[in-house]
Amino acid sequence: MKRRSFLMASAIMASTLAVPVAVQAATPDDQLVIATNMSSMRGLDPNELNQLEAAEIVANLYERLIIVSADDITKPQPGIAESWTVSDDGKTFTFKIRSGVTFHSGNPLTANDVEWSLRRLVKLGLAPSVDLRQWGITDKNVDELIKATDDTTVVLQMPEVWNPNLILFSLASFSTSILDSKLLAENEKNGDMGREFLQTNDAGSGPYSLKTWRVNDLLISDAFKDYWQGTPKMRRVILRHMPESSGQRLQLEAGDVDVATRLSSTDLAAIEMGGKAEIQKTPGFGFYYLALNQKDEILSNPRVREAFRYLIDYDGLANTVMKYYGIKQQTIIPGGLPGALNETPYKLDIEKAKQLLAEAGYPNGFSKVYYATPVTPEYEVAQSLQANAAKAGIKLDLQGGDHIGKFRNREFEIFSARTGERLPDPHAVLASYATNPNNTDDAKLAGLIAWRSAWEVPKNIQDMVTAAAHETDQQKRADLYAKINKAYLEASPALVTSFQRTDAKAVRKEVTGYVGHSTWLTRWDTVSKGD
Amino acid sequence: MSISQTSAIAPGRAKAALGALRKVAASFAVILTTLLGLLVITFVVGRMVPADPVIAVIGDQADHETYERVYKEMGLDQPLYVQFATYLGNVAHLDFGQSHVTKNAVSSDLARVFPATLELATLATLIGAGFGIPLGIISAVRKGTWVDHLARIVGLLGHSTPIFWLGTIVILVFYAKFGLIPGSGRLDVYNEGLVDGPTHSILVDAVLAGEWEVFGDALLHVAAPALILGYAAMAYLSRMSRSFMLEQLRQEYVLTAKAKGLGQRAIVWRHAFRNIRVQLLTIVALAYCGLLDGTVLIETVFAWPGLGQYLTSALFFADMNAVLGSVLLIGIISIAINLLSDLTYRFLDPRTR
Repeated sequence: MKRRSFLMASAIMASTLAVPVAVQAATPDDQLVIATNMSSMRGLDPNELNQLEAAEIVANLYERLIIVSADDITKPQPGIAESWTVSDDGKTFTFKIRSGVTFHSGNPLTANDVEWSLRRLVKLGLAPSVDLRQWGITDKNVDELIKATDDTTVVLQMPEVWNPNLILFSLASFSTSILDSKLLAENEKNGDMGREFLQTNDAGSGPYSLKTWRVNDLLISDAFKDYWQGTPKMRRVILRHMPESSGQRLQLEAGDVDVATRLSSTDLAAIEMGGKAEIQKTPGFGFYYLALNQKDEILSNPRVREAFRYLIDYDGLANTVMKYYGIKQQTIIPGGLPGALNETPYKLDIEKAKQLLAEAGYPNGFSKVYYATPVTPEYEVAQSLQANAAKAGIKLDLQGGDHIGKFRNREFEIFSARTGERLPDPHAVLASYATNPNNTDDAKLAGLIAWRSAWEVPKNIQDMVTAAAHETDQQKRADLYAKINKAYLEASPALVTSFQRTDAKAVRKEVTGYVGHSTWLTRWDTVSKGD
Repeated sequence: MSISQTSAIAPGRAKAALGALRKVAASFAVILTTLLGLLVITFVVGRMVPADPVIAVIGDQADHETYERVYKEMGLDQPLYVQFATYLGNVAHLDFGQSHVTKNAVSSDLARVFPATLELATLATLIGAGFGIPLGIISAVRKGTWVDHLARIVGLLGHSTPIFWLGTIVILVFYAKFGLIPGSGRLDVYNEGLVDGPTHSILVDAVLAGEWEVFGDALLHVAAPALILGYAAMAYLSRMSRSFMLEQLRQEYVLTAKAKGLGQRAIVWRHAFRNIRVQLLTIVALAYCGLLDGTVLIETVFAWPGLGQYLTSALFFADMNAVLGSVLLIGIISIAINLLSDLTYRFLDPRTR
């Protein structure tokens, strides 16, 4: 009897669990559900994070002085600053702060909040603080350089003259978001300027406010009814952590999510075939690159460097593994920016590579250790290069794993990965790829990948990069960048660029207004469904 | 007479109490040493993982100054033994530190993710034991018949089918193709945020809050991963139960019982089953422990925000406080389950008292 009851109970439980129920699909019309991978998100403090997924959230919880819209990233537009002027000497920026803007807390947004927020970014000195520090603003001079002169005016003094767009673009970055200084003062702990509070709360004035945030699980944000540009159409935006690409795809196809952001090329292709969603390829300001350590005698030979450019199967990769992840690009200024060139003079040519190796004195090739990030598509690109190099006599010992530390310390032979800058200006990429003011190990300029590669960038290129950053005439500047681009291509650089990165997302067809942003600031308040 | 009796018993009781106290103290010493050993090994191995926690926090493009600042902020400039001693000191005050990845206190992270795993593992164990043990016993009793063959095939399939693959197929067929089960996660988006705390087990919290729709939704979400894990547990438990029962059925007392004319049901359930209860409890406890710390694959496939995912993510980003906290929790839970099963033995088997 007891056994029968036991078996019966088991059967009932199983049937309860396995009962086939028609499961509701399709997200509500007034809610946007985004599938994403939250594994690498580090809190939600705009002055601390440095990561694409978190930047998109911050872009919608907070606002900035300047807006760079997705459809024209080259033009700074008024955001919280309704207008601005630049002094004749190019050093003083005066911003008029929009009145009537309130934070989610109900506190009014004033010039004092702007002053406090920008100073906080510099004083904390964390990774995104480079957005202001690169222009000479330091924790020592920031109180003098950034000042609110009254409730609606903020003045920024630059230590030297820079192209005004560089400053304005920096003020459009997620890192320069305006924080509710009053709320953060109330929630300060041990002088942390609200750091602990901001990890899991928001102090913004953006179109959405944070409702729920469970790390590696779920984020819910609700439309801010008092948003100064009007209440957004989507009442709620939900981000779900889905680490598996195939899981994201299935849920997108079933209508349980509206946008899938981390998909493998196989799943992207399947979604494209399925016809329920569109694939957005947003160009980013960075490259898939190959770094050849110039401290190595063989790799520092210009002909060897040139040979590597003929060992990459640009076309083959572009049609397969890189179809969704990159756009073929062999020059150093990303497409869409001033000075960009549409030249792709290199193609896979094993014989040419062999000839260059012979001229360099290595007719029988050589062996090198090759570090590559073991993720798609970097590793597949590396495997392709390894196979082609073998045909030219170069034996590459391909090693996956986390070797970024060795790369930063110049302890490698060959390394490949990808970069991504956030400033919609050629300077951001060039500062890293084409300047290296001190090539000694002690300089520790680990923020520059030219230094990491120990590459003595030709002086004329470095001088032009510096001059262009300070040039205030936009046309002269664009001409200068075109020159830099050509000079870089001809220099047989130690950093071989093959593809400009693109970030691919799948968006269901009934969703409109969700537009991938090159500087990671995709907006949700422009989204609507079924219109 | 009575006085002399009392004085004779009192020292005996005191001695027994002292002995018991010594045993308890020895048990605690063993537990603490085990946990300390676990932490030392995890700490050392964690430091050997080729991932830089600073890079994980600041990104690979950050400059040297930022790297140095964060390196010091994370206390990595201290010698290893100082870092470990500081950690132990904090743990003694029940402070498990802050996760570098989630930025939360590790204790609050664990309080959130562990109930998700506990929910899944408990249901899976109930399914595994609920089906596996009866199946194993029936299989042993009907040895050599088609029932036995079928049970063994089912068990073998459960053993040899990778959980990850099975999860993917279940999602593909039952979610994507037929729409019979909900998608991944613990709840549908409609029900998110309706129930929050106090236990962080949605099933329990929904009942406490009287949110029956949320309860039903949560049950539907947990069904597929729990059944898959339960199937794997069932495969293991049924094979072990079969083998335990077969061993008992070969014993002489069973022959005697048969000779006495006792019915098969009475022999199996009243005699043989009673004798394998301790062994069964041991393997169920082991299976439960295994499920509590080993559900990472199924958590990944079903986007289940549990301990397995948390620990994997922490390992990937060299988030040592989170790794140590998780390992400590797993260690404590394993010890607790084993202690509990030890205590239960005493009720089930008088010889162990």
